[in-house]
Amino acid sequence: MPTKESDEARLRQAGRRRRARYALVFLILLLAFCAITVLNINSGSVRISLPEIARILFRRTGDAAQVSIIWKIRLPRIFMAAILGGALALSGFLLQTFFGNPIAGPFVLGISSGAKMAVALTMIWFLERAGNASSAALIAAAFVGALLSTGFVLLLSRRVASMSVLLVGGIMIGYICSALTDFLVTFADDANIVNLHGWSLGSFSGMTWDNVAAAGTIVAVALALVFALSKPIGAYQLGEAYAQSMGVSVRRFRVLLILLSSVLSACVTAFAGPISFVGIAVPHLVKRGLHTARPLVVIPATFLGGAVFCMFCDLIARTAFAPTELNISTVSSVFGAPVVIFMMLRRSGRD
Amino acid sequence: MDLALETKDLAVGYGGRPLIREICMQIRRGEIVTLIGPNGAGKSTILKSLTKHLQTISGRVLVEGTDLRTMSCRRLAEKTAVMLTERVSPELMSCWDVVASGRYPFTGRMGRLTHADEQIVMDAMRTVNVLELAERSFAAISDGQRQRILLARAICQKPEILVLDEPTSYLDVRHKLELLGLLRTMARQKGVTVILSLHEIDLAQKVSDKILCVKGDRIAGFGEPAEIFQDARIRALYGLDAGAYDTAFGSVELPKIAGAPQAFVISGCGSGIPVFRQLQKDGIPFAAGILYENDIDCRVARSLAAETVTEKPFCPISDAALERAGQLMAGCERVIVTDFPIGPCNERIRELLNKIPAGKLHRTV
Amino acid sequence: MKKRILAFAVLACWCAALLCGCAPSAKKAASDTGAPEIAGLTYESTMQLQYANCFQIYRYEGGYDLIAVSDGRNYLVIPEGGKTPRGADGYIILQKPLDSIYLAATSAMSLFCALDRLSRVKLSGAKQEDWYIPAAADAMAAGTLVYAGKYSEPDYELLMSSGCDLAIESTMILHTPEVQEKIEELGIPVFIDRSSYESHPLGRTEWFRLYGVLTDAEDEADALFGKQAEIVQSLSDFQNTEKTVAFFYVTNSGTVSVRKSSDYLAAMIELAGGRYIFKDLGDPTTATSGVTMTMEEFYAAARDADYLIYNAAIDNPLGTVDELLQKSSLFADFKAVKEGNVWCTGKYLYQATDVLGSMIQDIHTMLTGDGSQTELTFIHKLS
Repeated sequence: MPTKESDEARLRQAGRRRRARYALVFLILLLAFCAITVLNINSGSVRISLPEIARILFRRTGDAAQVSIIWKIRLPRIFMAAILGGALALSGFLLQTFFGNPIAGPFVLGISSGAKMAVALTMIWFLERAGNASSAALIAAAFVGALLSTGFVLLLSRRVASMSVLLVGGIMIGYICSALTDFLVTFADDANIVNLHGWSLGSFSGMTWDNVAAAGTIVAVALALVFALSKPIGAYQLGEAYAQSMGVSVRRFRVLLILLSSVLSACVTAFAGPISFVGIAVPHLVKRGLHTARPLVVIPATFLGGAVFCMFCDLIARTAFAPTELNISTVSSVFGAPVVIFMMLRRSGRD
Repeated sequence: MDLALETKDLAVGYGGRPLIREICMQIRRGEIVTLIGPNGAGKSTILKSLTKHLQTISGRVLVEGTDLRTMSCRRLAEKTAVMLTERVSPELMSCWDVVASGRYPFTGRMGRLTHADEQIVMDAMRTVNVLELAERSFAAISDGQRQRILLARAICQKPEILVLDEPTSYLDVRHKLELLGLLRTMARQKGVTVILSLHEIDLAQKVSDKILCVKGDRIAGFGEPAEIFQDARIRALYGLDAGAYDTAFGSVELPKIAGAPQAFVISGCGSGIPVFRQLQKDGIPFAAGILYENDIDCRVARSLAAETVTEKPFCPISDAALERAGQLMAGCERVIVTDFPIGPCNERIRELLNKIPAGKLHRTV
Repeated sequence: MKKRILAFAVLACWCAALLCGCAPSAKKAASDTGAPEIAGLTYESTMQLQYANCFQIYRYEGGYDLIAVSDGRNYLVIPEGGKTPRGADGYIILQKPLDSIYLAATSAMSLFCALDRLSRVKLSGAKQEDWYIPAAADAMAAGTLVYAGKYSEPDYELLMSSGCDLAIESTMILHTPEVQEKIEELGIPVFIDRSSYESHPLGRTEWFRLYGVLTDAEDEADALFGKQAEIVQSLSDFQNTEKTVAFFYVTNSGTVSVRKSSDYLAAMIELAGGRYIFKDLGDPTTATSGVTMTMEEFYAAARDADYLIYNAAIDNPLGTVDELLQKSSLFADFKAVKEGNVWCTGKYLYQATDVLGSMIQDIHTMLTGDGSQTELTFIHKLS
């Protein structure tokens, strides 16, 4: 005869098992993070031994060139990969929850297309007239372009009630921006837009501490805000109708969610170009690993998972065919796609 | 008079176009109000408008005296809990998680459940008998179980008003009864006001304090079940053929077979009902008699038979009745006689029995 | 909410505009107001240039030089062992000896090789198979010249560990400003080669003298430049044949890319004694060198050109006229095709900055020869 006490005991035990699982997953992620950081610091076209690296890191002494290599080349790149990887994963998670669609990714709302269009415009206009543009200008342009497409999506979301319509709208805006970019490219000289294709493939090469500081600030603020929104995000998992019945102000939440995920993916696009698959694959992997969708747990884990995944992909991109550097998107797709397929098959098999 | 919910000239619809207008109703605390009406009439539209899922077009809705338009979703969530028809498919949520989400309006900043909250969730699940499903994945249970989990969720939100849109749709008869019994208990003991829509009008008749009939662009009726559930009103509301719904028992019958009767059934005390139904299924028009008006066979025969010969209750069988029955019997190919008691009142039925031509008689054991 | 979004967008645009204004500013406008005053240095003379107008070299006592380039970048070259003068702020400091150079401007390689200063270049922006200059390819094979990534993706670590002291980039670096900024952040000065903006072909060659200053090879530079200048000067009295020449290539999408009338290649044709078929084509003020047009437009304009020269620097060299016809059958109607006067450059063209005079000689031979010579140094006739 099930008694109140036995019920409680059973549930308590289940809760303990759950928490143990969370702890395990976080531990694995942290270990992976440390391991990949060490691997990353240790790899590059110049061989620097581990004790030497330790000396350079902790005591800042050593051969001037090597110090520069570690501090000015490798470390900013590693940090950037971690920050932007986490941002991408988080953005993907937000959009997947919001649309209830497992293939929604950070760029589904036309972010990367908008950014690419703005970058193309900047390249063509500035290089044609002024002859030069600073990297900060291109970064700012990408940001502005990304947020402009977000603006359109937000305007759309005011008139539209259904989620799937909004998703279609976002995809359409992406297509419009791509079309406009192609239009611009047709009339531009090859010389001006020769690097547009390279830009749109994404790269972590050449990151500076300024970049890290700027991206880090933006992403940290966004992460904090997303974490603070854990409760409504959790409510949203039952769908918009139920979320509203629980008191979530749906209008405001929609805007906040779109804005936050856009800022995160705009940040990535602006500093490193569009990187595919991290935002789609990592939230799935993390949720399967944790076996839950509770935002309080999933949000930090997704961020960490994204950082680890992205740093790993960057490592492969740099070292697989050295000295040629692969595109980060290529590597992330190669690793991300099969994993997602495998996960999907396992899930549908079980259902 | 404390009204839980009141609407004044409410018009509801989509995209600014009113579907139903001039809805005026007053619902007292602790009442169960059921919306009935044909498919697409607008029951869900009304319910969604009451829960702020749909914007009202004109008129006012007062929830415990406060206008709905001025109420924020948060405030409404503290008073009202819902159960919708939409399919919910959350990823990786256990049943416990789904029910616990009902505590949302009352938990702190981060949404963590306190010990008290957990007790409430457990109690809610226990009340609906779903506690054993707590650790299972919501995606892995049956539709009926899901419905009950969602009910538990609504309950643990501890609402003053509970709005349910077709809550019994996936449930088997046992769980239908359990759910409605639960609603009744909540209304009576805790004073929860329940507003729901049902397709099963027999259940609506049995569980509700008030019925709201939705048809066309105005309310076809708002009142107590006794008033609303009259044969003519129900037939008009649903566009039913005569005799298809019995308001006394809340039972439905398939349409009667038209034509000259080919069989004559002599029965009583309920023994004829299976025969009537079988003949109807076989598509054979039949006549029945002689049935007292207070006999349960009579009510069913009236729905299914081409013609029924009746007699007033507690009176001996009249000549007129016997004659009519004889006439009908003569025109039929066969006569079916069931096993029914013959007492002092209906003694004269033997006369009818003796008149049965040989070869036409069928006795049911 | 709409207002907030709009405000943010405006703010972002304004920030972008502000940042874009940041171009490396010259401390003093050197090229047109005369030699700038540099505290601690005494002005000696200004290099007299014959054809180049994209740079200016001011010479100071003690072996100090100031190279002022038309893009506003000013490089202060400090001799070996010399100290940085007081007034050096605002100039890009190039400390000699510059012997660990990263060369990502392929047009400068031929100049280095001709000056016999290839040893100064340790890192290359092109792979071994992409160098058509034998000396460079050999150096890469021998390992004295190492591939350090192309201009848009240099291997920063290799640059650092090789002690690179100068990065010579082409104007393509302007398309990837973050790379330039990163290299400069690492303490390596960036020199942008703007020789392709010279309007006179010999102006390009005169950059010999600039690189001569950088690599202590001024005498050799003057001699080499002089030789090329002689060739052109010998042609200066030549009466123009008035034969028209078209210089083009067909892109992947089927359009035709031709040089602007202000481009140095058009000038080369004029110097060689021919006429470039397009007059006033393209905007001379913009930075690009070419114009894209449809096949129909090219057909209309160049159908009656006497000579066609196919630019194989981008595309692959053609061997026969049939290969040209495969690109478009319209070519069969061209006068030059009918008369058999179709030529093609080798892939060497852009890397042959040192011998532009000889190339002009080639074109002259094409225009005036009897047609028997089909294999000239830089162009060959299609069969």
